Amino acid sequence: MEKISGSQALMKSLVREGVDTIFGYPGGAIMPIYDALYDYKDRIRHILVRHEQGAAHAAEGYSRLRGKPGVAMATSGPGATNLVTGIADAMCDSIPIVCITGQVPMAALGTDAFQEAPIIGIVTPITKWCFQVTKAEEIPEAIAKAFHIASTGRPGPVLVDITKNAQIELFDFDPSAKYTFPTRKSDIEPDFTEQLKEAVELLNNAKQPYMLIGHGISISKAEKELKEFIEKSGIPVASTLLGLSSLSTDHPLYMGMLGMHGNYSTNKLTNQADVVLAVGMRFDDRVTGKVSGYLPNAKVIHVDIDRAELDKVIEATIPIHADAKRFLTAITPLMKRRDHSAWIKQFKALDAEEKKEVGDAELYPKEGEITMAETIRILSEKTKGGAVIVADVGQHQMVAARYYQFRNPDSYITSGGLGTMGFALPAAMGAKVGDPSREVIAIIGDGSFQMTLQELGTIRQEKLAVKIIILNNRHLGMVRQWQELFFEERYSFVHMDNPDFNKITDGYHIPNELVEKREDLAAALDRLLAAKGSYLLDVRVEKEENVFPMIPSGANIDDIRIK
Amino acid sequence: MKYTITIESENAPGTLYRIAGTMLRKKINIEELHVKEVDSKRHLSRFTITIFLEPDLMAKLIKQIERIIEVVHAEYRAVDK
Repeated sequence: MEKISGSQALMKSLVREGVDTIFGYPGGAIMPIYDALYDYKDRIRHILVRHEQGAAHAAEGYSRLRGKPGVAMATSGPGATNLVTGIADAMCDSIPIVCITGQVPMAALGTDAFQEAPIIGIVTPITKWCFQVTKAEEIPEAIAKAFHIASTGRPGPVLVDITKNAQIELFDFDPSAKYTFPTRKSDIEPDFTEQLKEAVELLNNAKQPYMLIGHGISISKAEKELKEFIEKSGIPVASTLLGLSSLSTDHPLYMGMLGMHGNYSTNKLTNQADVVLAVGMRFDDRVTGKVSGYLPNAKVIHVDIDRAELDKVIEATIPIHADAKRFLTAITPLMKRRDHSAWIKQFKALDAEEKKEVGDAELYPKEGEITMAETIRILSEKTKGGAVIVADVGQHQMVAARYYQFRNPDSYITSGGLGTMGFALPAAMGAKVGDPSREVIAIIGDGSFQMTLQELGTIRQEKLAVKIIILNNRHLGMVRQWQELFFEERYSFVHMDNPDFNKITDGYHIPNELVEKREDLAAALDRLLAAKGSYLLDVRVEKEENVFPMIPSGANIDDIRIK
Repeated sequence: MKYTITIESENAPGTLYRIAGTMLRKKINIEELHVKEVDSKRHLSRFTITIFLEPDLMAKLIKQIERIIEVVHAEYRAVDK
C-alpha cells in the first residue's frame, strides 16, 4: 500500500478505465486535481475548452466515435452548472459520458461558500447516476462505478462531484483492488425464446412488414446483424434521426428517415404496415405524430434494452427487453426468405412524388440564392458519403439528415432528443479527437453557431482538423418556418443581424471563406475538404427556405404535408 | 385510483430525492411516506409511498422508479376503498 492523495488516486483510476482524453476547464475547487493531472500530461491529453458546455458536448462527440465514455471536467459552482445542458443532452440521446466536478470542502458544504452549487441536486434528474465523494478513499470505487454505469445497459451520463478535501487527503491506495458491480435487476434481460417465436410468426406471415431502427443499432454495434436480418427477411427499413447511417442510404431495403421532417413515404406508409418491428428506438413524439393516430391497426414488436421504454408510448403486441444485437442475431436464422417488392413499390411511388415536389427544386436549383439542400448534396457527392456529419439543431440539421448519403456507420452525430442549439461545434471537436482518421464536418446554422463559437479557440489551440460549414440564412430558420406556417407569418424575433463570421474566424487564425454565389460553392467545398487543418465556410443560403415534408405538430403521421 | 408503492433500495443519501423526482416529473403528489432500514447488513431501506394515479400510468411509473440505480425492486398494489 502507498499513501497517495485523492487527486492522484483519481488519475490512476482514470488511467485504469482507459481514459486518454479529458475535456475540461480548471478553477478553484478542482485545483488539486489539475495539479495531479500535470504529472499525467504524457498519458492523458487534456483539452482546454472555452466554456464547460463545450466540454460536455465534446465528451459526447468523442464517445460517439471512440465507442467509450468521454470525460468532461469542471470546477464547482458555475463550472459545474455550465455542464448541465450537455449532461441533459447525453441523457436524452443515451450517450455515455463521465463528468467530474470539483466541489467546496466538505466542511463548507451547504454554507453558500464561494462557487458552491448543489450540483448533485441539480443533475440528479438528468444523469443516469451521480455521486458526491467526500473522502479520498471513496474515489477509486466511485470512478470504477461511474464508468461501469455510464457504459453498460442503456448508456448515459454520470457525474462524480469531489469535494476539495477529498482531493487533498492522503489514503492507502490499493492498486490491485478490483471493483465489480452486479447486473441490476431491471437490467437483466429475460429469456425471450417465447416472444421470439411469436415475433417470427408475425413477421413471416406479414403482408406489409416494416422495420423501424433507432440509435440502439449503433450503440450495440449491430449494423452487420441488421443488414443480415433485412437481407434475409426482405423487410423494408426506416430510420429515426439518431439511427441514421446504421444502414447505408443506398441499400435497396433502406426507405429513408422517419419523423417530423423525415421522408414522405416512410411516414405516410407507417400506418399501412400490418406488422412493425421497432428496434432500439423509443417512439419519440417527433416520430409518432399524434399517438392516438399512430399504428392503429398494426401488430408491434418493440425491442429495447431499456425496459422502461417498452409500453411507454406505444403498447407493443410483443415487447422484448433485449439488446439489439442479441435480438437480431437470434431472429435472423428463423426468418423466411421473402420478397416484399410490391410493398416497397409503394414507397418508391411516394419517393417520386417527394422528389418532384421538394427534392428537384432544392437539390438542383437553377436560380436564386444557394440552398441548404444543394450544399449538402454537393458535399455528399464530394465526400462520397464517407464523412462524419455533426449537425446542430434546426433546419440545417434536418436538411443534412435528409440529403447526406451516408455510407458508413456512426456518420451522423446530432442532438436529437434534447435539440440543443450550440451542440455541433464542440461535438465535432470531440468527434475529431475520438477518431482523427475520419473527416469530421460540422454543419451549423448561424443561430446555433453563435451559441458556442468560442470553441473555435479550442480547435485552433489543439490544431483539430474540424471542417465547419455555416448554413447562414440570417434567421432562426425553423422557428421562422413555424411562424410562417402556423402563426400567420407573425415573425416574432427570428431575424438575426449577424456579425462578420469570416472576421471572427480570422481572429482565431482559422482559414475561412464567404460563399455567396452558386458558381463558387463547389470550388469552396473542394478547398474545405482539401485543407489539412480546420477550415470554415460561411455559406449564405436562401433566407426563407422551408423544410418539407413536415408532420405538423400534433397531427397524425398520415397528415404529413409535402408542401 | 389510490396505490401503495413499496420500494426496496440502497440505504443511501439522495434516494428519496430520486424517487420523489421521478414522481415530480409526472406531477404526482405523495399522500403518505414511510422509510425504514430493513436490512442493516446489506444496507437496504424500504419506502412505502401512497399516491393517487390513473391505473394505466402505474406500471410505467414503477419501471421509471426501477431505473434509479439505488433502487433494487419496486412494486405496487391498489389500496382498498
